[in-house]
Amino acid sequence: MAKVLDMMQFLDMNDTAIIKAAVQHLYLSFGSVLIGCLVAIPTGIWITGRDKIAGHVLRIIGTIQTIPSLALLGFALPLFGIGTLPAMIVLFLYSLLPILRNTYTGLTSINPAFIEAGNGMGMNSRQLLFMVKLPLAMPVIMDGIKISTVYILSWATLGALIGAGGLGDLIFTGIQTADANYILAGAVPVALLTAAAGWLLGKAEIALTPAGGK
Amino acid sequence: MVTFRSVTKAYRNHIAVKKFNLEVQDGEFLVLIGPSGCGKTTTLKMVNRLIEPTSGEILIDGKNVRAMDAVALRRRIGYVIQQVGLFPNMTVEQNIDLVPRLIGWDSKKCKSRVKELLEMVNMNPDIYASRYPNELSGGQQQRIGVLRAAAVEPPLILMDEPFGACDPISRETLQDEMKKLQNTLKKTVIFVTHDMDEALKLADRIVIMRQGEIIQVDTPERILRQPADAFVESFIGKNRINNPALLCVEQIMKTNPVTVSPDCGLAECVALMRRKKVDTVLVVDAQGRLLGGVDIEELERQRSVHKIGDISSELGAVLNNVSGREAFAIMNENRLKYLPVVDKRDRLVGLVTRTSIVDAIASAVWGDGESA
Repeated sequence: MAKVLDMMQFLDMNDTAIIKAAVQHLYLSFGSVLIGCLVAIPTGIWITGRDKIAGHVLRIIGTIQTIPSLALLGFALPLFGIGTLPAMIVLFLYSLLPILRNTYTGLTSINPAFIEAGNGMGMNSRQLLFMVKLPLAMPVIMDGIKISTVYILSWATLGALIGAGGLGDLIFTGIQTADANYILAGAVPVALLTAAAGWLLGKAEIALTPAGGK
Repeated sequence: MVTFRSVTKAYRNHIAVKKFNLEVQDGEFLVLIGPSGCGKTTTLKMVNRLIEPTSGEILIDGKNVRAMDAVALRRRIGYVIQQVGLFPNMTVEQNIDLVPRLIGWDSKKCKSRVKELLEMVNMNPDIYASRYPNELSGGQQQRIGVLRAAAVEPPLILMDEPFGACDPISRETLQDEMKKLQNTLKKTVIFVTHDMDEALKLADRIVIMRQGEIIQVDTPERILRQPADAFVESFIGKNRINNPALLCVEQIMKTNPVTVSPDCGLAECVALMRRKKVDTVLVVDAQGRLLGGVDIEELERQRSVHKIGDISSELGAVLNNVSGREAFAIMNENRLKYLPVVDKRDRLVGLVTRTSIVDAIASAVWGDGESA
């Protein structure tokens, strides 16, 4: 009971700090995923139909994914210094693979009959892309974005290690001072945000699935 | 008019189409048919440049298609593919008015066109325009596929086994509708199929292909009657259900009707009829030309004359190249019990009776007599 009271008091005193950390956390995560989308989706479109290049690109991006996040943050530190930017760069690199791979998979797995019909009816390549290919690949692409977002939201806690702030700050403070309140104040919101983002993006995926799809 | 001039398509390991020469007339329904891998689809796709020929040229109204912008060319040519290819992310309406939108029709014109087209195939626009393809039956989807190709009234429509995936019943219906549509719209259609029945039903002319080459180009009638070689013959036989409507009158007529010369005496004639158990004889001259016919009642009434030639009445006859369907229609309309069949020189070659039509239908339904 005392612990709960203690906790209430802690929240009362630190609510602005927690909210600030959460906002920074969201900024870090969604910022990186957004830039990830802006890079990965066009790249995914570009490598579709270029099998050789696609293989290379997917391998390179896949390799990045295998580097442990702490190691990658270690690389970022001397290169970009400390703060939000280096953390975002690292998170951005991690967000690439699921989005890129799903964009590529989504586009290459479209029934060729639709492509042929579009071509045969006189769509140019841009019309074919925006009217047929992207809408049909959208559920798969959205799934990639969802996977990326959920991962990045939890990995963003490590951003605190190179001074990017976010909810990780609270967790590491708690670890250093052996204060469970701090740890929980960081960890619980991360878990909640991750679950909420997964749920919301799942809804978005359904909404963006072509009405005629199953 | 579409002209193929020595069109060849070679791939690394094989030649898909070899020196293909053909002229397709305006308003003609041309069917390309052959076993799979014969090059029929390749030939079709070279018209709208989905496949580029290795050599030779294809002209549309005298203009080489390779000189035209591929996208612009395709918008002017209707295209229906085998797997329907309706875009699942678009409604029926959006699918149909896709090409109109691509070429910049305003939305009002698009809407009225969609309405008009749906009504043409008896699909209520209020119900179907806003539906998605997966909410339609296979037959309905294919109907929309055809409408989509016809949306901007292209003078030429290419169809690649459009009804191949439909069940037999909706395929029949679609073919009937296609025929009706073609009769009203008068488009030039190049149609690929491997179904001989479909080809015979729809085509003005059939092109039979094998291994990239044309084996025979002819009307359905003539292909049935004069197959160019054993391949064509087996192709017709193998793929065709014995449909009495498609049979030539030669195939259903009795080949040795009872005949007499005009000089034959009455008594002799009556004796002959009794022996052959017939109530009618046909009168032919020495060269076998049909002069007329006499039935038993006539003979009974005209006991006084001596020669058959004096009492025989003139008879209508059909040429031996008409279809069984036509012969049957003539008999029905004129309430004839029988209909003589003559060749081009008026010589009697056979006789169609109601019995021979029943026989033809019976053999189509139950097979060729063995089980009868």
